[in-house]
Amino acid sequence: MKVIQIDTNQWTEGLAKLEGSYRMFGPAETEGKYPEFKELEKGDVPNLNVSNTHLSAKSVVYPQSEVMFEYTLDEAKEDHHQLREIEKDYSPRAVFGIRPCDAAANLIIQRNFDSKEYRDPYWVDAFESCVFIGHACENPGATCFCTSVGFGPFNEDGLDLLLVESDNGGFLAKVITDKGAVLAKSAGWETETDAAALEPLKEAAEAKIRSKVNTDQLAKQDAKDLFDAPIWEDIGFACLNCGTCTYSCPTCWCFDIQDEVKDKSGIRMRNWDSCMYPLFTLEGSGHNPRPEKHHRIRQRFMHKLKYYVDKYQAGVQCVGCGRCVRLCPVNIDIRTVCEKMNSYKPA
Amino acid sequence: MEYMGIDRDRLHFSWVSSAEASKFITVVKEVTASVKALGPATKFVKDRRQVS
Amino acid sequence: MIGYIDKIREVALKLLNEEKVDMVIGYRQGSLPMMTEPCFVKRPEDVETLIWDSNCRINLAAYLMDRKEKIGIIAKGCDSRNIINHLVENKIKREQLVIIGAPCKGMIDNKAIALQFGQDIDEYQETEDQITVKGGGTEKTFQKVDVLQENCAICNHRNPVVYDELAGDLVEEQTDIDRYEDIRKIEAMDIDEKWNFFEDMLSTCIRCYACRNACPLCYCPTCFVDESKPQWVGKSNDPNDTRTFHFLRAFHCAGRCTDCGACERACPMDIPVRLFTKKLGKDCLDLYGWEAGLDPEQRPPLDTFKPDDPNVGMK
Repeated sequence: MKVIQIDTNQWTEGLAKLEGSYRMFGPAETEGKYPEFKELEKGDVPNLNVSNTHLSAKSVVYPQSEVMFEYTLDEAKEDHHQLREIEKDYSPRAVFGIRPCDAAANLIIQRNFDSKEYRDPYWVDAFESCVFIGHACENPGATCFCTSVGFGPFNEDGLDLLLVESDNGGFLAKVITDKGAVLAKSAGWETETDAAALEPLKEAAEAKIRSKVNTDQLAKQDAKDLFDAPIWEDIGFACLNCGTCTYSCPTCWCFDIQDEVKDKSGIRMRNWDSCMYPLFTLEGSGHNPRPEKHHRIRQRFMHKLKYYVDKYQAGVQCVGCGRCVRLCPVNIDIRTVCEKMNSYKPA
Repeated sequence: MEYMGIDRDRLHFSWVSSAEASKFITVVKEVTASVKALGPATKFVKDRRQVS
Repeated sequence: MIGYIDKIREVALKLLNEEKVDMVIGYRQGSLPMMTEPCFVKRPEDVETLIWDSNCRINLAAYLMDRKEKIGIIAKGCDSRNIINHLVENKIKREQLVIIGAPCKGMIDNKAIALQFGQDIDEYQETEDQITVKGGGTEKTFQKVDVLQENCAICNHRNPVVYDELAGDLVEEQTDIDRYEDIRKIEAMDIDEKWNFFEDMLSTCIRCYACRNACPLCYCPTCFVDESKPQWVGKSNDPNDTRTFHFLRAFHCAGRCTDCGACERACPMDIPVRLFTKKLGKDCLDLYGWEAGLDPEQRPPLDTFKPDDPNVGMK
């Protein structure tokens, strides 16, 4: 695929042109707060100076709280007690500055939300409305381990365009899909350049990733052996059972459905849920199949590093962004746990 | 509540014995008058969530 | 303070060897610089994994509730006060515990250091007064007093209040400190300023409940935010629901909070949630002369009635 040169003027002009035809998303920094992905106001430009957003970009497609239906309980109304779909805006979205890890994570979530058997309309429609303009990581962080889990700082999975910073303050943009080509054209970014310039940058960036983890034995391990391994009490002891790891994770997809009623009008919404919470598996009978915290932490790691591996045969359910490692209040580190699972030998 | 930004006059505490009917009347009048004077609450009013 | 570790390991080893306890709860080195991970040690040969430095910021009392074993536990001033809370609230029995007191000169604010250093930190070293971090070919040394956690900088109970062994000599308590400057600043705001201040402060909350779960006071079998019959609070990230969670949680900690700072340390979004609990701590001090977790024999003011209790706001 071709590579385009975008200088700083073309960049600013292009963004202005795109505003008419796309809802624009990108990293935004508010004073005193961490940079996060937001829908940009008209005239705002995505802030591509941030190393990565504090939380993942998954909220662009999959917000923490999302209303699905509304209804009325007023029996005087004809359609009382019937769920009505909420109208949504699935007009094209341009998502600027998503890092390759977060973009690849969407494809992992897609396996769950867009399968042969089931199609989650909210996620799929939002996902399909997006053009992902990635931002290559020339300076990956200390907790980044994307190259260990099958991705990398210049990875193209889940991206339509990949921006690489060039010396003159502009970008080199690799066009990956037709969607990306259309966006580049409507932005007026059309100066083709030599694709060979990217390869050394890519290699240099990959060489900067110092954090490595082994995943090669996970598929061969016996799931029951790992489940019964005497490692979980020790791994889970410090765990607070908060939702930080799951909420900051770009690949965690679980949600919970809630109704909220005010007077006679109600809504049905879904909110991110977390397997770290006791309520996650609490049954109506009062029985909880994962009563202790080490059961719950086992579930999180077994899902990401074993069940997913076995079910999809497409690697682990982790893109190596390192957010859970950095944000965990008690420093439970998926890399350490992964090594323990990978090297586990039953007695 | 005041520390959080809720008007002091929206929240009232009183101890009224079952034998103090006249105090009860006074208190209720005071409460309703002070809340009415403030007008409708604008804080802690939950509207329909924005649909994303 | 860093010299405590030899004594901690020695005591832990003795307790385990003599089978006086089933486990010792302490800290081990985390995978990241300036991080420790709470852990338990059950075998004498594992006591070497225990460490002690200025990054032992998690309150270990949060790991005690309803445990049945005999436990050795390392306790800073704040941890020990929360152990007293547990004794008062019947969450653990005194005879189950062997408390290894750690007179504390404060834990450091790793996030502030990382921010000031400006790049990834690969190495960390500390002496009694200084913190040195290295990374990206440079290094920087901080005076420890300049990078203390805010709650440690204003701490007035550094020594453990209750202990069976001591990991080091008792330290001098800080006396000349103003604990409530930030609270007074908020109290002085007008009503809309206050509302907007907290609206902005809580706007990034993701309802992960790390603050609640890190807190040794939050041990309800089902938290009010998790109740569904009746449902007290909405579950979405609606600002009203988020605020309800934070201020009700603070109320539940009134007269119990020791300002250990675990909630703030745990928050992935760095929201200064202590501004809620500290206000109630200040009120308890002003109204009842009460500081939580100092005496296992005394009932807290909010579960006792005295005829001369102040009538705040009562008509």
